[in-house]
Amino acid sequence: MRLGANLVHLPIVRAVAVNIAMRADFDVDAISDLELAVDEACSSLITHAVAGSVLSCRFTIGADDIMFTVTITSSEDVRPSESTFGWRVLTTLTDGVSSWADRLEDSLHQVHIEFVKRRPVVMR
Amino acid sequence: MKQVATTSQQRHSSHEYDHLVPLFDELAALEEDDPRREALRDELVTGYLPLAEHIAHRFAGRGTPKEDLVQVATVGLINAVDRFEPDKGSDFLSYAVPTVMGEVRRHFRDASWAMRVPRRLKELHLSVSGASTRLAQQLGRAPTPAEIATHLGISKDEVYEGLEAGQAYHASSLDESLGNDGEGMPLGEAIGEQDSGLEGVENHEALEPLIRDLPQRERHIIALRFYYNLTQTQIAERVGISQMHVSRLLSRTLAKLRQGLLENNDTEEAATSE
Repeated sequence: MRLGANLVHLPIVRAVAVNIAMRADFDVDAISDLELAVDEACSSLITHAVAGSVLSCRFTIGADDIMFTVTITSSEDVRPSESTFGWRVLTTLTDGVSSWADRLEDSLHQVHIEFVKRRPVVMR
Repeated sequence: MKQVATTSQQRHSSHEYDHLVPLFDELAALEEDDPRREALRDELVTGYLPLAEHIAHRFAGRGTPKEDLVQVATVGLINAVDRFEPDKGSDFLSYAVPTVMGEVRRHFRDASWAMRVPRRLKELHLSVSGASTRLAQQLGRAPTPAEIATHLGISKDEVYEGLEAGQAYHASSLDESLGNDGEGMPLGEAIGEQDSGLEGVENHEALEPLIRDLPQRERHIIALRFYYNLTQTQIAERVGISQMHVSRLLSRTLAKLRQGLLENNDTEEAATSE
């Protein structure tokens, strides 16, 4: 999904995340974790996005996991450092996070954060 | 009004509870995983139920259905039973009354969403949240929407609606829970975490004052989730609120911390560019 890179659009992305996780019948903890992680990843990138640019979010729904990728365009390589609190939040909430940046022309960067949330293994 | 326990009616009813008092010592003497705990706990909760009903009654007539209030007060009572420590010297009633009243007050504070969310959805949210708490206790883990639907005998779509209703609530009651008016959070548990966990975090100088300024309960919840790596359901059980409440508090607190760090950065950038 493509939206303006603006914090006002965050509730939409969060709502989609919750909806996907509910319908995949993730447990209530995992549903909330996914929502919080989406919130964290998107807001940390949006604040660095070039004005008027696009926030691109992709959910990939697997049998037992949901993958989320968010991409923005920034004038700098604003990949979050792995020693920040925000990164700690992402690694706690998800089952694997990565972030990378591609250099575009005009000294712009496309910055991505991607994570996967797995369905918790339960003994029924 | 405040001194419930000293009215004559209450004094009369506290005698009604006399036979329950020794049960707390019995409960405290049992191991954490002793199967007899559950029966004792049930007996205590049932025995003190008139107290919850009495308090619920005092808050009636404010636009919240009586049954909801009794339910909320009962949650407060269960928390009080679970958290009461007989060896700390106070008697159960003087511990339970503020805890139960705190829970009911919190319900009214949360009820600021009442204006915007249809009653059916609020009730759905309340019953989904309640079912989730009960199931978590039974299963020892967080339930899924399908399990909640089966438990309540409603459709999965209704469960989705009930879960999503919590988000409306989230948006409309931003100031909820800022105060800690003696609501009985286990003191002594929230100690020391901000120092132990934050070393090695790059922006910890900026973060520490922000975390210190958080209300105690929020600080505690953040520490339990991000330093001790407890699940939301485990945190809910420890702190004595619902998982959905934990979820909302985490969401709000993380947003507050992000905002604080951002403002900090802006100030730093402004300072270096001068």
